[in-house]
Amino acid sequence: MAVSPELVFSVLMGLLLLVVAGWLTRLEDWQAYTPVGGGGYGESTGHGHEEKPAGLTRWLTTVDHKDLGILYSLFGIVAFAWGGITAMLMRVELTTPGMDFLASFGGVGLYNALLTTHGITMLFLFAAPLIFGFANYMVPLLVDADDMAFPRINAIAFWILPFATILMWAGFFLPLVGIDIQAAKTSWTLYTPLSSTMQGTGVDVFLLGFHLSGFSTTMGAINFIATIVAERDSVSVPWSKLDIFSWTILTQGGLILFAFPILTAAVTMLLLDRNFGTMFFAGEGGGAMLWQHLFWFFGHPEVYILVLPPMGLVSLILPKFAGRKLFGFKFVVYSTLAIGILSFGVWAHHMFTTGMNPRLTASFMAISLAIGIPSAVKVFNWITTLWNGKLRMTAPMLFSVGFVQNFIIGGVTGVFLAAVPFDLVMQDTYYVVGHFHFIVFGAIGFALFAAMYYWFPIMTGRMYDRRLALWHFWLSIIGGNITFIAMLILGYGGMPRRYATYLPQFMTWHAVATVGAFIMTFGVVAFIWNIWQSAQYGKRVDSGDPWNLKQSDQFTNEWQWYEGKRQTMLADGGEEDADDAESNAAD
Amino acid sequence: MATEESEDHGHFLPAVRDWPRGYGEASWWPFVTAIGLLVVYTGASLYVIGRGTDLVSSSIGLGAFAAGWAVTVLGMFGWIYQAFIVDFWDRGSHNGGSSLRLGMLLFLGTDIATFGAGFAYYFFIRAGGWHTEYLPESGILTSVLVINTVLLVVSSFTIHWAEGQLQKGNHQGFIQGLLVTFLLGVVFIGGQIYEYYEFIVHEGFTLTSGVFASAFFGLTGIHGLHVSFGVLLLGILLVRGLRGQYDADRHVSVTTVSWYWHFVDAIWLFLVAVVYIGSVFGTEFSPF
Ligand SMILES: [Cu+2]
Repeated sequence: MAVSPELVFSVLMGLLLLVVAGWLTRLEDWQAYTPVGGGGYGESTGHGHEEKPAGLTRWLTTVDHKDLGILYSLFGIVAFAWGGITAMLMRVELTTPGMDFLASFGGVGLYNALLTTHGITMLFLFAAPLIFGFANYMVPLLVDADDMAFPRINAIAFWILPFATILMWAGFFLPLVGIDIQAAKTSWTLYTPLSSTMQGTGVDVFLLGFHLSGFSTTMGAINFIATIVAERDSVSVPWSKLDIFSWTILTQGGLILFAFPILTAAVTMLLLDRNFGTMFFAGEGGGAMLWQHLFWFFGHPEVYILVLPPMGLVSLILPKFAGRKLFGFKFVVYSTLAIGILSFGVWAHHMFTTGMNPRLTASFMAISLAIGIPSAVKVFNWITTLWNGKLRMTAPMLFSVGFVQNFIIGGVTGVFLAAVPFDLVMQDTYYVVGHFHFIVFGAIGFALFAAMYYWFPIMTGRMYDRRLALWHFWLSIIGGNITFIAMLILGYGGMPRRYATYLPQFMTWHAVATVGAFIMTFGVVAFIWNIWQSAQYGKRVDSGDPWNLKQSDQFTNEWQWYEGKRQTMLADGGEEDADDAESNAAD
Repeated sequence: MATEESEDHGHFLPAVRDWPRGYGEASWWPFVTAIGLLVVYTGASLYVIGRGTDLVSSSIGLGAFAAGWAVTVLGMFGWIYQAFIVDFWDRGSHNGGSSLRLGMLLFLGTDIATFGAGFAYYFFIRAGGWHTEYLPESGILTSVLVINTVLLVVSSFTIHWAEGQLQKGNHQGFIQGLLVTFLLGVVFIGGQIYEYYEFIVHEGFTLTSGVFASAFFGLTGIHGLHVSFGVLLLGILLVRGLRGQYDADRHVSVTTVSWYWHFVDAIWLFLVAVVYIGSVFGTEFSPF
């Protein structure tokens, strides 16, 4: 009987796995070049041929940055689905003040577990891998490199990720096979002493998976930096001509380099505390404060690890549909670097209410306010790029503009939180939740959607369904703003974060937030359906320049590569070999 | 020649002779390595579950943990062999090894952060006051510490000397210098095991002996793992050197491993100054 509440999750997980499996087999059909057992090579619709084996083997053995980019993106979308399902379960529960919807499945405990996995999944398994997916596919093309600097490490870094995810989600599906471990209910911040004393081996299993996933990110960052610095063709792409997305990936790599090992080390200490009797975070040792310092020394840069590349994506995409170059390109680069450096000096703004030294809080407040300046510089650059431009409201453009809108709300609400007196009132309320959801979904998510639509023709050779993309955009921006503004209002009212139940006075805005969440969900369903269908049956792209970029002289390297590839394919009647690839890579 | 050209401007195929054979961009080794790591972490999970519940036995977890490492190491050897060793003289040096050099520097950067977190803990507890009872009874400064420190510093010089010999074209001298460095590393690890044995068995100073023990075993432990990994890398250099690889122009992995070795040495000196010697000073006066 104890298992039966978990049954729902077994079904959900099973469905999820089926979707993945189905997707993979479809993908195989869609890009298989070799008839099984046959010696010849069939019609080739994408990249690859003799360089890669056929079928599933190709995907398991690939060291090609483009294939790994696709795998990263697929993985990110699957994680997005799990993160979204958990969010919706929580939102439905929060429609009414009491514990009702989840009551028969595990009640408050399940809510806390959902809360934890939602946060961790969206940050570490959706946003970061999807960024890495686009970076994998595009950065080597943008910098005119043959591949990533370390192709095999690239593959190792990717494969670690789904395996780590199995352990990170194990607390939800292991109970179904009779191994009754408790899923982690620590929240994504893993604050000690809660996380160091919480019962249940599910916490340890989660921490082990989390630990493993950190290596993936760090390897990826080293690879991107080495690719941009050492594999870049310094003749065709000197530093002065490096595109903005690569700049942000480079800065992100620098942040990961110093932030992620700190997290990995802190998680190691936490595991030792839990299992081997060390005292790193015990009362007499480092205590709760040491964890918070280490965690946020990682955690604040993590915010910029996640938001800088999306800023780069928008800086890259926005000008393409405004018919002119990015306004103040240099300032966008400089502000990226400035944010990168400052981001290591602001971590304690997450700790204003812990009773730390007031002189320290004042200096952290000052730097936190200062970091708003380079972010504002970017916003003004985007707006001036749009100003008097010839705007073309394609799906990538809509999402880029939506990004700017959401980023302004998310950013301005954040500046207030950086001020100590305001933070003392708003700490741990829904105001904070509303603020960072505007950034994480409203900005980061939107930029990733923009990139998905923008590069869809390159990655699949087909066009997405424009009507569905518009539905996706409008449902997302309307639903997102309803939900997250309702959260801001709840915060003003004093609604605390992380609770499964609440006082009846908050019910109205919670109900509004849930309605908004459903609207967003329809948008996301439109998105996933669109990507799935269009990748297989979408209209074939009929030129190397589907966005008409040549007109405004913005036909950048990745599109040139794509056009070259298409020409070779046509010339060869659908086949290409290494020599031809060589000539088109050179153009 | 042709390889150099095609690497610069053509379509570079990174895995021509790899398994599965006959393709340019396919290799099983990354997947094998990742599977190994999955088994390692699953083993650790089973171990923890076994200790906390009676669902599985902890020894199954430990077995899986060990087996996982075997697979991981196999995968990494496959990868290193295919990427760097096979066809060493024919393949030419891809962009002069600058990616590899940069990659090692970046990795060392991440390592500074890793050690930084451990030292942050140590400074945190130092700031909170200091007591003699944190330390093992007969003191932390032993003769093993002195010997080990000397060994590691000397090994930094020997690897530097070996590099110099390679530059001068003295391949035999290079091998000898490398061998001495390797042996010094092995003896260092032996010394550390002996030191741990003395503390744990004779002094009763273990991982659970309080706030200093956490810092001591945490930091020396992670450093010891780094030395062990370094010895493994030196062993690979040695085998490759004995098979006739490396010369004055082709020695990227010698350079990167030597950087790694100097780095591990530098961390050790900092660790000795701060954790070993610093802990004794703290018992007499607290600067905080
Ligand atoms: Cu922050």
